[in-house]
Amino acid sequence: MSKKIVQIPLGSQHISLLEPVKFKFSCENEKIIDVDSDVGFVHRGIERACTTKFKYDKIAYVVARVCGLCAITHSLTYTMSAESLLEGEVSMKAKYLRVLMVELDRIHSHMLCLSHVSENAGYEALFMQIMGDREPIMNLQEKISGNRVQFDYIDIGGVNRDISLSVEDDIKVSLKELRGKIEDLINEFENNYTLSLRFKGIGALSLKEAQEFNALGPIARAAGLVTDVRSESNDLPYSEIGFKIVTSSGGDIYARNMVRLHEILNSITMCENIVSGIPEGEIKTKFKGKPNGEALFRLEAPRGELMYYVKGSSKPMLDRLRIKTPTFASIPAFVEIFKGQEYANAPAILASFDPCMSCTAK
Amino acid sequence: MFDLKKYRKKSPWILHYNAGSCNGCDIEILASLAPKYDLERFGVLNTGNPKQSDVFLVTGPVTFRSRERLVELYTQMPSPKVVIAVGSCTCSGGVFRDMYNVEDGIDNYIPVDVYVPGCASSPELIIDGVVKALEILEQKSKEIELPKKLFGTIKEEEGVLNLREMALSVAQKSEQINAQKSEQNEN
Ligand code: SF4
Repeated sequence: MSKKIVQIPLGSQHISLLEPVKFKFSCENEKIIDVDSDVGFVHRGIERACTTKFKYDKIAYVVARVCGLCAITHSLTYTMSAESLLEGEVSMKAKYLRVLMVELDRIHSHMLCLSHVSENAGYEALFMQIMGDREPIMNLQEKISGNRVQFDYIDIGGVNRDISLSVEDDIKVSLKELRGKIEDLINEFENNYTLSLRFKGIGALSLKEAQEFNALGPIARAAGLVTDVRSESNDLPYSEIGFKIVTSSGGDIYARNMVRLHEILNSITMCENIVSGIPEGEIKTKFKGKPNGEALFRLEAPRGELMYYVKGSSKPMLDRLRIKTPTFASIPAFVEIFKGQEYANAPAILASFDPCMSCTAK
Repeated sequence: MFDLKKYRKKSPWILHYNAGSCNGCDIEILASLAPKYDLERFGVLNTGNPKQSDVFLVTGPVTFRSRERLVELYTQMPSPKVVIAVGSCTCSGGVFRDMYNVEDGIDNYIPVDVYVPGCASSPELIIDGVVKALEILEQKSKEIELPKKLFGTIKEEEGVLNLREMALSVAQKSEQINAQKSEQNEN
């Protein structure tokens, strides 16, 4: 066989991609030897607009539109960093409600990713099944916040809507049903030939590489790297509600699926604990002053660590807002994983990263 | 015979393009294709190929870099075609209006047939929009047949109008008339 190097483009518009991103694979026969990525198709200039067009108390709603999947994490991270520059205290109840929404969001985001992985494995029926199982969670989100995707639930000082008793019951029922379904899915992903053997050893990232290339989120945890902002900070009451860090080993697609599935189970437990123990209190308290000084804040989004930097000088407009998103930080690790893989596996590997381009380009 | 017109109505294929959206509307499009809402019961199928699609679903306010691709995808689709703008930001720019890299809605670049509002639009709205678009699609296919009066005949190949030959016959006719006129003038 010849040793010719062939360039294969994937994107910017492709059926296996939800968002415009362009990869240029240099392939030798079937093997990928180098990857070039172009992620800037959806750059809108949100950071700039947040310092020129919107006042500091509206930005939580704007940054939610950075990404529809982890919208709540974006607005929560911004809100918490702004709150640290203002005077006031968020009530415990509001904190619990915030965590509840973040975890529900994580469940639906992970399920979407899993359905994509199974679609790219050629398992269309499972894609449809997971999408169907995901609907109750969307319903819950609609009941709690009033919208299915862009909740606009979090505001400076607390949350915008209270939770009613009937909704709490609904949450309990739906989550209980979901737990059974996820356990079935774990069984499916472990034992089904198409999903387990096919994916073992494909797209692997070793622990050393994960540390070296600064992988984040489920990709890092699947490689055995213990990194999760939820366990590293105590700004949100994660330790009280039964958070357990999930790791795996191997770092391949199979391990990533397993990490996601077990994280969903853990999130379900947390949501159930929250619902059965929401403290009494106000849902919103008043905050005084204008943001003054600098703040840096981290939270765990479904895809990894999300970081906000906010700088203000007692004016309604911020001086600077900087968003560091998980996918952006993980791109070096992505490129490393692709090298040496077969081209035919590229869409499946890409889906298992769960990349978010609108986060990356902002 | 293979009747494309009939299948187009019964099974429209959609092409989805993300022109800088936040993914919110994209996942709602996915949700509306999935079991609970099941857009596929209308025969709607999601394809990745512009040459085979009839309905163009666009999300996002059109960023500076995606506009070429947007127009290119639109021109690659065979007519009759309908364009649906899904989401407030696609219709008018929404929250992203006046940001420096944003072109404020897709109707600055391509003609839009159905506007679906909402940030994010719910699957119900999207389904409503697609069903409306199908009506428009049918109307558009009829409109293509209108030139019959002008052309006199309709030339069809495998269910598709052959506009080029239809126009050629008109051109030939007018050439003949012109030739006759010039002959008369010489005489
Ligand atoms: S309309 Fe809203 S939810 Fe939909 S893509 Fe635009 S910003 Fe996102």
